[in-house]
Amino acid sequence: MRQTRSKNIGIIIYILLLLTPVYWLLNMSFKTNREILGGLTFWPKNFTLDNYVVIFTDPSWYNGYLNSMAYVSINVVITLLVALPAAYAFSRYKFAGDKHLFFWLLSNRMAPPAVFLLPFFQLYSSIGLFDTYIAVALAHCLFNVPLAVWILEGFMKGVPREYDEMAYIDGYSFPKFFIKVFLPMIRSGIGVTAFFAFMFSWVELLLARTLTSVDAQPIGAIMTRTIGASGIDWGLLAAAGVLTIIPGVLVIWFVRNHVAKGFALGRV
Amino acid sequence: MFKNNKYPKTLMLSAAIGAISMGVSLQASADQYSDAAEKWVNNSFERSTLSEKEQMQEMAWFTKAAKQFRGMEINVVSETLATHEYESNVLAKAFAEITGIKVNHTLIQEGDVIEKLQTQMQSGRNIYDAYVNDSDLIGTHFRYGKVVAISDMIAGDGKDFTLPTLDLDDFIGLDFTTGPDGKLYQLPTQQFANLYWFRADWFERADLKKQFKEIYGYELGVPVNWSAYEDIAEFFTVYVKEIDGEKVYGHMDYGKKDPSLGWRFTDAWFSMAGAGDKGLPNGLPVDEWGIRVEDCHPVGSNVSRGGATNGPAAVYATEKYVDWMEKYAPPEATGMTFSESGPVPAQGHIAQQIFWYTAFTASMIKDGLPVVNEDGSPKWRMAPSPHGPYWEEGMKLGYQDVGSWTFMKSTPEKRRLAAWLYAQFTVSKTVSLEKTIAGLTPIRESDINSEEMTEMAPKLGGLVEFYRSPARVQWSPTGTNVPDYPKLAQLWWQYIAQAASGEATPQEALDGLADAQDNVMARLERANVQPNCGPKLNKPRDPQYWLDQPGAPKPKLANEKPQGETIAYKELLKTWDNAR
Repeated sequence: MRQTRSKNIGIIIYILLLLTPVYWLLNMSFKTNREILGGLTFWPKNFTLDNYVVIFTDPSWYNGYLNSMAYVSINVVITLLVALPAAYAFSRYKFAGDKHLFFWLLSNRMAPPAVFLLPFFQLYSSIGLFDTYIAVALAHCLFNVPLAVWILEGFMKGVPREYDEMAYIDGYSFPKFFIKVFLPMIRSGIGVTAFFAFMFSWVELLLARTLTSVDAQPIGAIMTRTIGASGIDWGLLAAAGVLTIIPGVLVIWFVRNHVAKGFALGRV
Repeated sequence: MFKNNKYPKTLMLSAAIGAISMGVSLQASADQYSDAAEKWVNNSFERSTLSEKEQMQEMAWFTKAAKQFRGMEINVVSETLATHEYESNVLAKAFAEITGIKVNHTLIQEGDVIEKLQTQMQSGRNIYDAYVNDSDLIGTHFRYGKVVAISDMIAGDGKDFTLPTLDLDDFIGLDFTTGPDGKLYQLPTQQFANLYWFRADWFERADLKKQFKEIYGYELGVPVNWSAYEDIAEFFTVYVKEIDGEKVYGHMDYGKKDPSLGWRFTDAWFSMAGAGDKGLPNGLPVDEWGIRVEDCHPVGSNVSRGGATNGPAAVYATEKYVDWMEKYAPPEATGMTFSESGPVPAQGHIAQQIFWYTAFTASMIKDGLPVVNEDGSPKWRMAPSPHGPYWEEGMKLGYQDVGSWTFMKSTPEKRRLAAWLYAQFTVSKTVSLEKTIAGLTPIRESDINSEEMTEMAPKLGGLVEFYRSPARVQWSPTGTNVPDYPKLAQLWWQYIAQAASGEATPQEALDGLADAQDNVMARLERANVQPNCGPKLNKPRDPQYWLDQPGAPKPKLANEKPQGETIAYKELLKTWDNAR
């Protein structure tokens, strides 16, 4: 009894510590800049929604969220579409150089994204993709697909080959087997993969910023406008920050069951 | 047959109807633009140095000049500042309705603007059709040859698209955006200065004035030199300590190892101390960065090459920066960045600040602040910054930030010309007074001298008086000596931070900085990337040789703290008035 209670206290303290910065962000987003800079207050003295009003009424602000969501969703879809067959191939077939290829898939993750900035910029602008959703989504795929293949391959290995064979005997065509039988078995793996792809793409700023100028500008780039020669607009920045957390929370909420299982099963 | 017969008639009829309706719609569309112009002039650009009729003429010119660009969508970018917010939210919309050219005026952090600009310069691919870029990059732009000079555009392909009433002579910042070749490279769209800031109410208090005189032997007032600034800083922090029960400080600054620490120095700090040579807008041959040019070629910044980045005056300036922050500023100042320290004086416990940007004016005149009186007038004033012992008459005395329209050669001509129209619109006399009032960053003599600004003056703590004064010309941006602003500016904060944190002495830190700058310039020389006036470094020699030459680098003064000198604020205003 005592043990569980002390365990609970520990967990509560831990959660409090984790949530303090998030609370502080939320707290700041409801304050005026004067209050933020004026002194320490633990909750907003002059509660204001002005910061949120700015974001929801100014198209150049809310478009940033829409842009980010657009390229992140495209990225997640492409990543899964490409990584699922690739991972299946790696898990089921032996072919020349498969081990090397599998290892070197990750080579793109061995360098920081910054080194790809100029090559990507030149490539995309020469084929007219600069400042489009698909450009950013494809750029993020370079980092997400290899990781997705790795994660999915781990899950697929966990599915015994006998399932494949049984399906053939039962007369399933390959596509039917893959979609109807195989994919549901690695549901949690797909959830985990989608989660990682989403998280990387959502918070990645460097590439997203460099590959866009107006039409596909991510929210992260728009947030930098709160920093100006006459100081930082802390309240607005905090409000924008709170709103960037929400999509992440939603994604985790929807995949939470899969993720819990997924983390236990997968290789990650 | 029957059908065939009838067909042409129908065709004729429909053609006739079409022609009439086209005529009507052309009529309507012509009206659409002038209606929009009228609406904007009457509702949003009421205050202007032009009469309403002249405004309408200017707008009609824009409508006409933009005819062949109608339906286009152009992208321009600038940093975040009240002035640019006004441009982005109001002027871009007005321009679209008056001309039919849609403008996306994007606002991002200044560092990101520079990054985009550099990407476009290096890759030759168009990202934005125009940039608002600080004129500190003038030396960069005229050397790399990637920018379309405004004067070339006005004389060349932009001839028919240059506003007849642009009135370039009315601009106060053209000196800063002109290259050594006499060409105008950028067009100013906003300007703000870096001045001295002080609590005029405390400086007027009889008890404090008496106490100050007793200790230092001269009047408390606006410091003319750094000795007086130092005395006043000591006075408030060490002797006065508390005013009305609150702890007060005689100085405020920032010192965190952060890129913003670079501006604290590259924005003319050394020239305030008196490093560099005489000459306006920037010292020649040695400027305030300590970079020497010979025949427009940068030849070095280390004293051993004839530069002054690590000369005695620069070392003195750095020592004072470190000393004052340690002794007289609030203890948290050393851990602050530019944007964290900026709002501190508004909280009411700072008596004076030697390095203060007028961009903070608007945020310091808000009702209810401890530094604002009940009637809404500020308790503080801004005044010209004091100068250090190395400073001589004829040198620049402070920094001015001049955000200017910049056009790249890599932008397609049609897009560039459409953007040129928008740029002129944002500085046209029809809108520029309203813009000045919204952002407090004046660019035109006519706006500064307008009645509207006279009316506003008492609320602005000396901004209008300063911009009207002859002293104004001593405040200037980084000049043409600096061959690559982005590459060189980023060196500063790293070395200055060493001095600020005590990791290195000011002399050691500046030696490192001077060598780093010379290395960058040597690389530019080797790579031969600058077709005009690129660096050609001098061979290093005994520094004493250069210190013995007249001008900068100047040898160390025996007495770096001459008698403190102050002037009453009212006297200062009077001398300005007389000089006008």
